[in-house]
Amino acid sequence: MTFGQLGVVALVVYLGVLAIVAEAARRARSDGSPSDHFLAGRDLGVMVLFLTLYATAYSGNSLLGYPGVAYRSGFSFVMATGFMMSIIVAFHALAPRLRAVARAEAFVTPGDWVRHRFPGQRALASAVGILMTIALVNFLLAQLKAMGLVTEQVTDGAVPYAAGVIGLAGVVLVYETLGGMRAVAWTDAAQGILMLVGLAMLLAWILGEAGGLAALTEAVRQARPEAVAVPDAATCANWFSSIVLLGLASVVYPQAIQRIFAARSARALQRSFAGMTFMPLATTLVVTLIGVAAIARIETGADVPSDAVMPALLTEWAQGGGWNAAAAVVVFIGALAAIMSTADSCLLSLGSLVAEDLLGLPRTENRTTKIGKLIAALLLLSMIPIALMRNVTLWRLIELKMELLVQCAPAFLLALHWKRLSGGATLAGIVVGTVFAVALTQADVPRLWGVHVGVIGLGLNALVAIAGSWLRPSGGAGRAAEAMR
Amino acid sequence: MGVRRWLLLAIGVLYVASVPWYRETGSPVSLVFGLPDWVAVAIACYAGVAILNAVAWLLVDVPDEDDAE
Repeated sequence: MTFGQLGVVALVVYLGVLAIVAEAARRARSDGSPSDHFLAGRDLGVMVLFLTLYATAYSGNSLLGYPGVAYRSGFSFVMATGFMMSIIVAFHALAPRLRAVARAEAFVTPGDWVRHRFPGQRALASAVGILMTIALVNFLLAQLKAMGLVTEQVTDGAVPYAAGVIGLAGVVLVYETLGGMRAVAWTDAAQGILMLVGLAMLLAWILGEAGGLAALTEAVRQARPEAVAVPDAATCANWFSSIVLLGLASVVYPQAIQRIFAARSARALQRSFAGMTFMPLATTLVVTLIGVAAIARIETGADVPSDAVMPALLTEWAQGGGWNAAAAVVVFIGALAAIMSTADSCLLSLGSLVAEDLLGLPRTENRTTKIGKLIAALLLLSMIPIALMRNVTLWRLIELKMELLVQCAPAFLLALHWKRLSGGATLAGIVVGTVFAVALTQADVPRLWGVHVGVIGLGLNALVAIAGSWLRPSGGAGRAAEAMR
Repeated sequence: MGVRRWLLLAIGVLYVASVPWYRETGSPVSLVFGLPDWVAVAIACYAGVAILNAVAWLLVDVPDEDDAE
């Protein structure tokens, strides 16, 4: 059996498993309420919660993009292990307090917190909703493009790019619509396991081929000495900046916040986060080593796009035939699983976010769920034509995603811990930070002195929010204290 | 200050130590466990962060009516 034929069989088996899980999730529904559809009835236990957090956090970019960045940067990309871990550290400032309020107030969307904490501040709730929607749309678009790319590669062209995008988008839409968060979480669990197995196999092959870690590092030093050298001051500044940017931006991802709401109990949430903190060592560090190993395997100076490094390694691995080809297919399917699990989470969050936080539709049991599903379907359909344009470069927008999202952090992190924070000052901060980050990114200045413009924008944002709240505190401090209790 | 806050403080220190800002660019690099020494230090710091953070999460006190059941 050829690599492409193996890929087609694996793809069919994978989609079959997804269909079974989606049907089981549909049957497990208790009612059609927004809480049941978007938050799985707030009943996610430790294991499923852990795996869905894992599969959602590690996207196609983590598996396909990061090895490419590591290939270009060298060992300094070990910073990625640190910044992925910083997300779980930063959750300490968000999850415990938000969870307590969310449980008491039956929150479904992130906007519920903003409206609860800053009553009457519709502009602030809209600003947060818009930034989150832009980030999610970008993220979803990137996953759609990655779906087409990986499907084409794993089937050796038997399933073309366009068919991959349209077909898999349809699959995600069907199981998300049928089973909601329950289907998303259960399929995420299966996809998370597949990702871990695939990566472990690939690393074992690379280390075996190189003759161990020391031999691999020496080979990289021979091929490109600067990949092993102590990084310069600008790289160190970027390292610190990435830890701050990713840590603070990722905790306000709507799909992450909704998983905090969806946990069965505080104990389930605690244990899931305790487990999640080890996952960068098992995933990000592994993909970094894979990317660095590619320096010794792919001709230095070759103009290899970032996303092509991982597929190039897998293709080389598959050429060994037999078990090697089968293992390479498992990794490709693992990457596809990572992409689809991120796409389904984005889509589910988008439906509820647009319906409730942007359009402000009143929450009535079944109607909100239906409208949320319809909005998710329309958004997905409208994105497919853009995803099909392979020559359209969306990387600027995608790079901008975290810089925008991080501007929402004060509305959650500061607001949860400082009762004096006022809605007007928070909105002013968001506007200042966002304008700064967008203007500099669009002017092709993504970093200043190695620090992301989004992080500097966040500094300005927080400064304006704090200064504004001191100078003109909100009249509702008592209400805020009540909201935070 | 509670244990959890001390743990978070230690995590901050490990993060600062994980970045090789204190090393001169281009200084000689030796291998530790098959990795460049500054990479081995970073990974050791992150392993420490993971352990301390896991303990800190298990110490979080979140009032939740379901836990009492």
